[in-house]
Amino acid sequence: MDFKFTEEQELIRKNVREFCVKNVEPIAVEIDENSRHPAELFEKLSDGGWMGIPIPLEYGGAGADFLTGIIVVEELSRSCASTGFTISTHAGIVCTMILLFGTEEQKKNYLTPMAEGKHLGAFALTEPGAGTDVMALTTAAVLEGNDYVINGTKTFTSNGPTAGTYLVFAWTDKSAGRKGMSTFIVPREAPGFRVGEHFKKMGLRSSQTSELIFKDCRVPKNNLLGKEGAGLPMAMAGFDGGRIGIAAQCIGILQAALDESIRYSKERIQFGSPIARNQAIAWMIADMATDLSAARFLAYHAAWLKDQKLPFSKEAAMAKLYASEAAMRHTVKAVQIHGGYGYCKGAKVERLMRDAKITEIYEGTSEAMRMVISGTVLR
Amino acid sequence: MPTVIACFKWVIDEAYIRRNPAGDLDFSSVDYKIGEYDRNAIEEAARLKEAVGGKAIAVTVGMPEATKGVKDALSRGTDEAYFIADTSFGNLDSSQTSFILAEVIRTKIQQYDIILCGEGSSDLYAQQVGPRLAEHLGIPCISFVQKLSVSKDQLVAERRVEEGIEVVTAPLPSLVTVLPDINVPRIPGVKDTLMAGKKPIVKITKDDLPPVSEPMLRTISLTASSMERSCERFGIDAAEIARFVGSLRKKGVIA
Repeated sequence: MDFKFTEEQELIRKNVREFCVKNVEPIAVEIDENSRHPAELFEKLSDGGWMGIPIPLEYGGAGADFLTGIIVVEELSRSCASTGFTISTHAGIVCTMILLFGTEEQKKNYLTPMAEGKHLGAFALTEPGAGTDVMALTTAAVLEGNDYVINGTKTFTSNGPTAGTYLVFAWTDKSAGRKGMSTFIVPREAPGFRVGEHFKKMGLRSSQTSELIFKDCRVPKNNLLGKEGAGLPMAMAGFDGGRIGIAAQCIGILQAALDESIRYSKERIQFGSPIARNQAIAWMIADMATDLSAARFLAYHAAWLKDQKLPFSKEAAMAKLYASEAAMRHTVKAVQIHGGYGYCKGAKVERLMRDAKITEIYEGTSEAMRMVISGTVLR
Repeated sequence: MPTVIACFKWVIDEAYIRRNPAGDLDFSSVDYKIGEYDRNAIEEAARLKEAVGGKAIAVTVGMPEATKGVKDALSRGTDEAYFIADTSFGNLDSSQTSFILAEVIRTKIQQYDIILCGEGSSDLYAQQVGPRLAEHLGIPCISFVQKLSVSKDQLVAERRVEEGIEVVTAPLPSLVTVLPDINVPRIPGVKDTLMAGKKPIVKITKDDLPPVSEPMLRTISLTASSMERSCERFGIDAAEIARFVGSLRKKGVIA
């Protein structure tokens, strides 16, 4: 058993941290406040090769393993959870799915520019009536000559307003049930496609989320990812990797909550001594540090399994469930430690608490995670 | 096209040094980094190479565990590294380090145009290695450099001195010690870090070197600095100043 990162992974972590202190921390409050997508930041991330970490060099990526990608998402999220998440969805789900299931031509045309950071990718599955219940999807695609024609509406699509390439899930044969759903690569300029309403969110505000509207949207037959009817298992495979990414995002949030709580509780004097000397505060911090460690081990283990090409579906769900609930629980405590100051805009813990909530909801709710885990252990 | 050598030291990252309850320095969970000014030296070597071609070589003397430092230097735009390591090289003083560096540069690297060093190391900041190394090699040493350019057979350096800025030229080869103002070190990208380990690393051990002399410095003890407040307040009039002086005398700060 070896709990040591490689020297490269340790250096990369330090480099991302330095990048964040220099480029992310100074804008994190502003982009949250204004719900702004920081295009200038993503340009810098592209220049550093941070946009396609687990993608091989020949497809424009950095050729690193998945665990390295997780370290980067964690460190980015420690400064700005929106930025960490945007990269996680883009590289960990969209790029990875095209890498796993795409043709050589699709990898050249869509994966390479995304891994190089020329534009973002988005994963479009959820619909107004189909959240956890994926089978309730209504978007459908029909083959007409050399094109598929897609009709339907997607909602809560992360990177929706900013992406250049979309992975869209639609029925090609609803009567075939679980074997009737397919995945399409839809470029932003596809005729009949448009970005709908942008959502105003409680947290994760600089990550852009919107509706996507497909009205007789035409994509060439070649834009089918994998085979017709293979959409559902593909979505599940995408989710499995994505969930480790969310766990990493939560670890970043937790680490930031811990950093802030330690700093503040040592500085804040009440009744003549720093509040960190009060057992009530010290124990909150002890629990926070312990859950952070536990979440790390779950997430790193899941990422390691993925890198070893071993089954990791259950472990990814466990990592996501544990890390997201820990992030929520402890960011609430971090605000408590900060008292009134923590409740005010500009306090980092205030943003962390709002950002944490979504992690229990998206890419499978905590309840869905428990369905996945119990489904495996009770089998 | 010049060959530029950047010397660096892999030092304890001071952010990880703790004080234990007894007040002693605790090094049990420290991480290491390339010395701050040495990062500037490496960056300058990489920039010179990127601007005019040639080769940038990173050189370090230290413990065999410092492999991460060598990769770090190689991820910052240098082409190859000389890693001089031995378990006894953990606490070398400046005279020993400069002797070893000179030996390796003279006998192994041989051809070079510029040697760059940080003005001082991040841990001891003795500012000795650069000038001593130049002396060993018999080449000019230009210190406190905040701007550097190179033409065919000479370099032009801006030195920040007490009275202002001095612009000097020097023939090649020369040694330059740099200030942090000379550049902003790059943050290596993922690919830079992953490729670093694939670049050539020449490993040199104690057995490849002539005997290294005894250190000229001896560390007697190392203690944590402490700042204790006595929470006394003084005003600014004559009586208060007299009281202030009296207080310092009483505590033995002044005689």
